Amino acid sequence: MHISEGVLSPGVLIAGAGLTAAGVAIGLRKLDNEEIPAMGILSAAFFVASLVHVPAGPASVHLVLNGLLGLILGWKAFPAILVALGLQALLFQFGGLTSLGVNTLNMALPAVGCYYLFGWAVRPGVKVPVFTVAAFACGAFAVLISGVMVGFSLYLTGEAFLPAAKLVVAAHVPVMLIEGGLTLACALFLRRVKPELLEGQYAPMHSS
Amino acid sequence: MHQCTLHSFNVTRSRAWIICLISVVLSLACFNVPAWAHKVTIFAWVEGDIVHTQSKFSGGKRAQDSTVVVYDKEGNQLLEGKTNENGEFSFKVPKKTELKVVLKASMGHLAEWTIPAEEITAAGDITQTIGPEAGTQAPAQEVAPPVDAKASGEAPERSTIGLSREEIKGLIDDSLDRKLAPITNMLADSQDHGPTVSEVIGGIGYIFGLVGVGLYFRNRQRQEAQGRS
Repeated sequence: MHISEGVLSPGVLIAGAGLTAAGVAIGLRKLDNEEIPAMGILSAAFFVASLVHVPAGPASVHLVLNGLLGLILGWKAFPAILVALGLQALLFQFGGLTSLGVNTLNMALPAVGCYYLFGWAVRPGVKVPVFTVAAFACGAFAVLISGVMVGFSLYLTGEAFLPAAKLVVAAHVPVMLIEGGLTLACALFLRRVKPELLEGQYAPMHSS
Repeated sequence: MHQCTLHSFNVTRSRAWIICLISVVLSLACFNVPAWAHKVTIFAWVEGDIVHTQSKFSGGKRAQDSTVVVYDKEGNQLLEGKTNENGEFSFKVPKKTELKVVLKASMGHLAEWTIPAEEITAAGDITQTIGPEAGTQAPAQEVAPPVDAKASGEAPERSTIGLSREEIKGLIDDSLDRKLAPITNMLADSQDHGPTVSEVIGGIGYIFGLVGVGLYFRNRQRQEAQGRS
């Protein structure tokens, strides 16, 4: 999922960095004191998740957890993912510093998208079956869209889109299922233990 | 405004939640030590005039059917090939300069390895430097054809007289390649060092530190605003 340094063309890198900067700005503007610790913990979870290896397909894939981040953080997933990816690039040499913008965009934008698509149903008040399906779909689709976006980034640099995207998506099918389950488990756990966390996002804009 | 109320109504619950999540994060970090992910590495070494490369993902999985492209120092593409099911690809030295071997694995993974010019010329020069010297000594030994002596029937007599320099060199090289094979393999394996536990814990520490810094500045802003009002 991490695109290495030197793969993408400068145009794609700059566009990715610009869009990521915008996303981070939106996320930080919506940030409230209360949410900083939750953001940090989820950022740490994202940071570690990429070390959990799923041995499947022709390449190596790992957990992403962006669906979970999107579900709880919404736009704030952008800064959280940026920090985690930056540290992964520095400490693990996953991805790279120049491709940080594109990588953040590829993982954070699907997170925000899934938040708008499925977030409304992942609330403490919603009935359990709907809640379950939405939470699972949120985790699974975030990974799927990320995969497609990685394929698209490669396509913009000149690789044929369909084979690249197919490969990325195919490799991530097991991850999608695992992520869906994991996101569901977390959401159910939070619903029982800390429902405010799921509710907070959907309250009218916080006074910052 | 709502900080205080939120805090007071659920202090124990949110603490339990935070401790729970932290322990999940840490246990993920711990149980997964051997199975690191997501980087490709390529390692190349020269044996004679053949360059061997080995590619793998940092989980230890070999990068199969990935493209390996070889460039010279100026960045001209010299040749291209695909790795086999063991992630290996070998090619004959195409040019005696510094070679840059670039691995293009699927999904935007890329790694490169540079073979310095000395390593390649050292392997390639054997015949060139030995050639003239062997030539000067040839008259003393009467015959020193560059063909493999064992191939011709004269081998038994000549082995007692002495081997030509070229043959000795060849034998030593063969033997060295064989003896050093485990070491080159070890080196190839050691190229693939995944993140260490200290790096993982360090990264988590950085994130928590950033949280602290963020909270500190936010709180200061809030206090200043309160002080002013």
